[in-house]
Amino acid sequence: MHDPAKRARFESTVLAHLDAAYNLARWLTGDTPAADDAVQEACLRAFRFFDTHSGTSAKAWFMAVVRNTCFDLLKERNRYDRHESFDDEIHGLPAAERDAPDAAAGRNADAARVRACIAGLPAEYREVIVLRELEEMSYKEISAIVDVPIGTVMSRLSRGRDLLQKTMQDTGARRQS
Amino acid sequence: MNCTRMRQVLDAWIDGELDAATSTEIDRHLAECPACLALKGERGALRRELRANAPRFEAPPALRAAILARIEQTALPAPAPARHRQWLQTAAFASIAAAVGLVAGLWIERPLPDDSLREHLVASHVASLTDPQRLITVVSTNQHVVKPWLQGKIDFAPVVRDLSADGYTLLGARLDHVGDRQTVAIVYRKRNHVINLFAWRAADYTAEALALQSARGFGMATWADSGLRYAAISDIERTDLEQFARLMQP
Repeated sequence: MHDPAKRARFESTVLAHLDAAYNLARWLTGDTPAADDAVQEACLRAFRFFDTHSGTSAKAWFMAVVRNTCFDLLKERNRYDRHESFDDEIHGLPAAERDAPDAAAGRNADAARVRACIAGLPAEYREVIVLRELEEMSYKEISAIVDVPIGTVMSRLSRGRDLLQKTMQDTGARRQS
Repeated sequence: MNCTRMRQVLDAWIDGELDAATSTEIDRHLAECPACLALKGERGALRRELRANAPRFEAPPALRAAILARIEQTALPAPAPARHRQWLQTAAFASIAAAVGLVAGLWIERPLPDDSLREHLVASHVASLTDPQRLITVVSTNQHVVKPWLQGKIDFAPVVRDLSADGYTLLGARLDHVGDRQTVAIVYRKRNHVINLFAWRAADYTAEALALQSARGFGMATWADSGLRYAAISDIERTDLEQFARLMQP
């Protein structure tokens, strides 16, 4: 059996951030089953290596593992079914809206539009937007997760927000016309 | 500060990532530059829109249990190839012996039904250890997940208990065939040792008291209750297996 103390530490320092991990995975992979797979896989990796991590906070370290696992998974998936990936994943609406266009046209229209705009961002901008706007993580933490300098975090966030603003204005205008 | 510089630092400022001196410069610039002030307003609106409409997806409730179960599984002992080989050799030897027996025109006594059942149970136990994928189909440490999963797959309802307080961790369950019987194996673990608890429909409702025996070096505890027969197999200490079986009794 695993050292029970290690397991308890893992639960309190790593699994405590399961919601944050899942949210990131959901936005990066674009669908629920893939997010589920990615988080499970990331947790196994994290458990294996979690005694060796040092430096950044446990949360940032775990989120980095989740992020890398997501990209590994996407890479693998794209290798197997190339044609399926782009439209659905990057520009697709969440399944609930796809299945129920009427509901989406109703009170969820705004949420669906915002979601589609974020989903449509290139991954390098999407991840910093999600980490900053939804997870409210600091630039330092984001820099550790994405593994780029803080200056790059700053410029990607700035560029990502420009893009988001633009697509949200575009789609908003189209909706009203 | 000019507008170009302003565009570079505005987001960091909104995110509270800038030092006080730069912030003062920004305040001063915003006071006299309507274009940059408008951009600041747009960023504020964007943030409000995101907070209002972009969902933070929450982890499904079952995810945590699934992760813990998979972590538990990684702690399983590596499959014991030697033991497996030994079992295969024994099987091979038995079939050679049977063939020789037939050729010699001798009648080799067929094993008693109970013996054959015991062999099948041991074989299934051993096979489940050699392949972690095979060991468990539904992974959960939660009896309230395992039981509903079994429903609809089999036409009986074996006992699934939470024995974690006694050191037996529920890992999950799988459907299995033992001989020609449809069985369920509920999988527990004590320290490094897997316990397969097999359950299948009995011929009748006769209750049978707990009996302990050994089969090919494994401990086996058997009993029957409410029309079901149970057999727990493991290489844990005999006293532990007995304790486990007692905890499972009605």
